[in-house]
Amino acid sequence: MKTSRYIAAAAVGALAATLAACGGEGAEPDDGVVRLTFRQFDPADQIQGLVQAVDTWNADNPDIQVELETVTPNNPQQFAREANSGSGPDLIHIALADAAFLADPNILLPLDELMTEQPLEDADSLLATDMTILEETTWAIPWTADTMAMVYREDVLADAGVSGTPSDWPEMLDVAGQITDSSGGEVSGFCFAAGAQQQAAQWFAINYYMWNNDFQLIENNGGDWSVGATQDQLAGAIDYFNSFFTEGITPTSMQAITDYADPSVAAGLGDGTCAMTFMPPAAFRAVQEQVDAELLTAPMPGGLDDGSTHLGGRALGINANTEHQDEAWQVVQYLLSAETFETYDQYPASASTITQLDVDPAEQGFVDQLPHSVPFVRYIGAPITIASLQELVNQQFSAVYSGQSDSATAAQAIIDAIERELQG
Amino acid sequence: MTTRRTSLQAYLLSAPALVIVALLFLFPSIYNVILSLQEISPFQGPGDGEWIGLGNFEYVFGNPEFWAIARNTVFWLTALTVLLRIVFGLALAVALHSPVLRRWKVRGLARTLVLIPWMVPQVVAIASWRWLLDGSSGVLNQVLVGSGLTESGVAFLAQTSTVWWSIVAIIVWRELPFVVMVLLAGLQSIPDEQYEAASLDGAGRIRAFRSITVPNLRPVLTVVVLVTVIQTFNNFVYVWLTTGGGPGTYTAVLATELYSMAFFANKLGAGAAIGLVMTMIMAVFAVLYMRATRTEDQ
Repeated sequence: MKTSRYIAAAAVGALAATLAACGGEGAEPDDGVVRLTFRQFDPADQIQGLVQAVDTWNADNPDIQVELETVTPNNPQQFAREANSGSGPDLIHIALADAAFLADPNILLPLDELMTEQPLEDADSLLATDMTILEETTWAIPWTADTMAMVYREDVLADAGVSGTPSDWPEMLDVAGQITDSSGGEVSGFCFAAGAQQQAAQWFAINYYMWNNDFQLIENNGGDWSVGATQDQLAGAIDYFNSFFTEGITPTSMQAITDYADPSVAAGLGDGTCAMTFMPPAAFRAVQEQVDAELLTAPMPGGLDDGSTHLGGRALGINANTEHQDEAWQVVQYLLSAETFETYDQYPASASTITQLDVDPAEQGFVDQLPHSVPFVRYIGAPITIASLQELVNQQFSAVYSGQSDSATAAQAIIDAIERELQG
Repeated sequence: MTTRRTSLQAYLLSAPALVIVALLFLFPSIYNVILSLQEISPFQGPGDGEWIGLGNFEYVFGNPEFWAIARNTVFWLTALTVLLRIVFGLALAVALHSPVLRRWKVRGLARTLVLIPWMVPQVVAIASWRWLLDGSSGVLNQVLVGSGLTESGVAFLAQTSTVWWSIVAIIVWRELPFVVMVLLAGLQSIPDEQYEAASLDGAGRIRAFRSITVPNLRPVLTVVVLVTVIQTFNNFVYVWLTTGGGPGTYTAVLATELYSMAFFANKLGAGAAIGLVMTMIMAVFAVLYMRATRTEDQ
């Protein structure tokens, strides 16, 4: 009997100890060294330069050691869960479009005080600050910038008698058709990830097309949100992209892929069966390494028109729960410096730092387009999230490509769904 | 006195298990009900939501696509794949139980080979199938085009005529071994004497299958059907990783809709409402399962 009681008591004690351990933070050694965790979400093969930059910081600053933590893909909800429960990394890598979501529940540290005490060197030249400064409070600092540019095979275009990439969307369809026709259908003039999935890359091209034709999905009229496109405009955009499939320019198989750098796109660029596509700089570099052929970049159709392409990128934020605000801010300043970008292969979100970079000539398309790109701020703050818009648009365009719907019906479905969300 | 002490000891001994059950099963279920009655985003902390009564359920059921998504879940994802698994699983189990394999001394090898799909992690299996089914460079298309059966590649995952069948094929391939193994165990428990007696009475193989195998397997089949229904109805990864619900929303199911609602639209409450609806449907099957297994125990 006694033995059984001891066993029961021990079991309860062990359970309590286990649960207590679950809730506790790991103890830091008391050696005077501040240890910070910096969580970033880009794939490991794209951050070798960042790892090098962090190693340099750690070597130069023995009292402030930074541990780089990779959690990929981007998962701001996970950070929110941790921060809401009083934990999480000290420094966090944020997609520009997510800054507003993380600012709202006050889980990011407002940075204005730190910026006053220890000002940033080039604060005035930062890009996309309208995504990170909300209601006059700075919640994050724009760090890297990117956009989508055309990626193409110059030799394949030349074989079709095409001397350069198209400068506008109607020309895009003509040129892509010419390339496919002249190859007897062997070469896809334009290949792009046209999947229905929320992450499908076609979302960017569709928005670029809309913005270049002076309409957008939603618009903010002084805090009153409404649909920003007519049914005809949306149907026109759907018909435009569907033309690539109906005219045989883009293979139907592209309707099942999501990623701009999907292996089938990379393979097509490599063997010359895909003449043109689009992707951001990191994906371009990854594809460049996979293929033997020479790839070049150029601005998207209409990409040199102001506001016709998006300025994406990452920002840096500090967890409101950190016990080392000053040290975290010092690391942020280092990560924003030109020194970091000497090894970190990204474009800085700073107009002044970007000019100090020695850019590969093959990436000239990104460099030419970036000054004309604008953040997705036009969709920020609406009752419908960008992710939901993205999913809705990709699904409805995909429904037309696959013959489930016609363009007018799909356009109306987009409008109805947006109106439903805007009404709450 | 002794009885009371014994009773107290029983409670004490079972307390850790009860606490674990409460923490891991009861609390999440109750919290899900709470979330389904709140307007809350995944960025907000617990307790920051706003109570909105049944608003999330009205929102979910008001979605014009909800019923089509529910039909996909019930018919394509669950009913069809369970049916095919039972049919193919039974056929394979009978084949693996055959004395011929034992005579050829390949029974162990055959049973190991059947288990292979189950050993492959779901994500790896789906990635491999996506590669096989790729519309341009997929192995299946290379065979089809190379053998002259089709002029050009078939975009299996982009066409409405082929996409659901592709997903069904992946699920059946990956999940079939479980059904085979359970049914094989059922077959092995049938006494040989029953077949010998039937044979003496002049029953052929088909008659023996109908009159001995199927009745003996019925309890096992019932449990297998219920377990596979519960496993499949809630499954998220097969559709999500294969098509993401596309083309359009043609292959969307309740689990993918739940994810979209909670993590793209940031409507955690609406996602929880879908989860609750799914739980209630599955509760029916869970009760049936418990009744079936209780009958077996008795």
